[in-house]
Amino acid sequence: MRNTFVTAASAVVLSLALHASALGAEISSIAILTPEEGTDYGWNQQGIDACKAAAEAAGITCEVAQGLGYGDVRPALRELSEDGAGLMIAHASGYNTAAPEIASETKTPVAIVDTPQGLQKGLVADYTLSGHEGAYLAGRLAAKMSRSKHVGIVVSGEPPSWNAQSAGFAQGVKAENGDVKITYAVIGPAAYSDAAGGRRVTESVIAAGADIIFGQGNGSSFGMLQAVETTKAADGGKVYFIDVIGDKTPVSKGFLLSSVVWNITPIYAAMIKDIKDDTFGTKHYAIGLTDDSVKLLKTDQIPDDVWGAVQKIRDQMISGEIKIEPVFEATAVRGLMTDVSAAAQ
Amino acid sequence: MDGLLSTSFLAALLFGAVTAAIPLLLAGLGEQMSEKAGVLNIGIEGMMIAGAYLGFVGAYYSESFWLGFLAGAAGGVAVAALMALLCVRIGLNQIVIGIALTLGLEGLTALLHHFQFSRSYPRLPAAAVTPIPLLSDIPVLGPALFRHHLIVYLAVAAVWVMIWVYRRTQLGLNLQAAGDKPAALDVAGIDVVRTRTAAVLFTGAMAGLGGAYLANVGAGLFIPFITNGAGFLGIVLAMLARGRPLWVLAGALIFGGCLSVTTAAQVAGVNIPTDLIQMLPFLAVMAMLVLFGRRASLPAALGIPYERGAR
Repeated sequence: MRNTFVTAASAVVLSLALHASALGAEISSIAILTPEEGTDYGWNQQGIDACKAAAEAAGITCEVAQGLGYGDVRPALRELSEDGAGLMIAHASGYNTAAPEIASETKTPVAIVDTPQGLQKGLVADYTLSGHEGAYLAGRLAAKMSRSKHVGIVVSGEPPSWNAQSAGFAQGVKAENGDVKITYAVIGPAAYSDAAGGRRVTESVIAAGADIIFGQGNGSSFGMLQAVETTKAADGGKVYFIDVIGDKTPVSKGFLLSSVVWNITPIYAAMIKDIKDDTFGTKHYAIGLTDDSVKLLKTDQIPDDVWGAVQKIRDQMISGEIKIEPVFEATAVRGLMTDVSAAAQ
Repeated sequence: MDGLLSTSFLAALLFGAVTAAIPLLLAGLGEQMSEKAGVLNIGIEGMMIAGAYLGFVGAYYSESFWLGFLAGAAGGVAVAALMALLCVRIGLNQIVIGIALTLGLEGLTALLHHFQFSRSYPRLPAAAVTPIPLLSDIPVLGPALFRHHLIVYLAVAAVWVMIWVYRRTQLGLNLQAAGDKPAALDVAGIDVVRTRTAAVLFTGAMAGLGGAYLANVGAGLFIPFITNGAGFLGIVLAMLARGRPLWVLAGALIFGGCLSVTTAAQVAGVNIPTDLIQMLPFLAVMAMLVLFGRRASLPAALGIPYERGAR
């Protein structure tokens, strides 16, 4: 009789637990894992800042595991899960294999990037973000300001997010002035911390005639910045740099023209809500101009009339008058570099 | 394609090839000496990143590239001393210790950078060049090959110094014996441990110098993980060159040259997958050294700790 009672009680408790689980979960902390330190004025810093901001808004905490490199992060993921993280944000495309594995093993939800096809309800969400709308504006800006009518795109890899921005930039350049030449160069397959490579390739692109560089590179973008600071354009004048994701103004020396700045906080806030609503892993997340989660940085290098013109284009994009579709595939991006006029609507 | 035909672009490509090759050359020459003496120095990546960090710190605070190079070499030697202690003196596994040193140094330098530079990201001015008279005036080749920092010429000259050491000196014979038949060297009255230790320390100095060059001249700054596997490429070059310094130079230059070719192909708008283009440097180096370096051989006692009397 006693055994029957215990069994019945256990069944009730278990069913209640499962029912609660099915309705969603309360979490007290989230965690983010980044390959580099959160002080890069870029991808890593924006991710960590957003994690902290979203957690604070939700009244929970954000655990930060930064500078993990691009190797195996399974031990770090397991440890964060054991520490009670209710969501682990694997903030690097190189973590796309390990994170879903650990999610299955520990049943702790994970968020990964650059894997839109990897959704698993309750376990794996993807946030392949694209600042292509901001990059389009950057392209319009670059085409307006280039003296040589030749701009360069230098990237340290070809993840989907960056491909979309490279394509958006190219479309913006061609929409502004079809005669402007675009030179596109990749430092290496995954040269995110190859600052020397960033400098070398950027110097070559400048030597080919570009006087504005649109750079995407994590740590290697500092090499690109160094190249524009120490290399003259063909006309002997300044070369300008357009950055992405973060704002490098505090460390620039007057060569930063602009940046396509991301705010990832709304994305992480939405993930926390989705976990509570039991809809995590069922949808894709996006950033854009409308809510200022993507915006173009205004610097002193941009004349007011040019900035005003770019803001008008922004308004047209928000109203839907100008539509830019993201291009995620590297092959398609390279194709755009030779003829992008047909792709821009 | 018009950009490809400009002299400034071609010069920039060749200049970049040399700049990319020098750290590999220095690391490869260093690794080659360790291997000759029988020590497989997997920790060279850690020595390079230590050299990159200390080299940058030295140059930044002293405002002298030369003091930076000196600090970088000293950093490499410090890491190499640990390697020598653990692997040569105590006889621990060279691969395990080498990997541990690399991972440890990557973490340590990232941490130091975090506290020291992560809010300011200081950058060095462009390195002063030493033009070689007459040669530096040759169109394209002059500015590309003969207008570099003095350390570049010294690095290339080191190749011939190494050839001379290996072929003409007692030290070269001792190193060879330490790698091939350490027991014979011991019987001849030469201290095997001391010989191998000296080789490992030399490797550290060269790798540290390579790291310092990479940070100070190549990038003009230091960021975590900046070596990006350059040390491992140095190991590959040394392994494939199999004891021949000239082949290390050839491999490094081919690798650097192919990096520039990949940039040129992209600038020209060649619409083929970038991953395929980026494979070119690795394929070229392997093809060249496999084809022409087959007759040389690796030391018989490579990777085996020496213990007197052991069988």
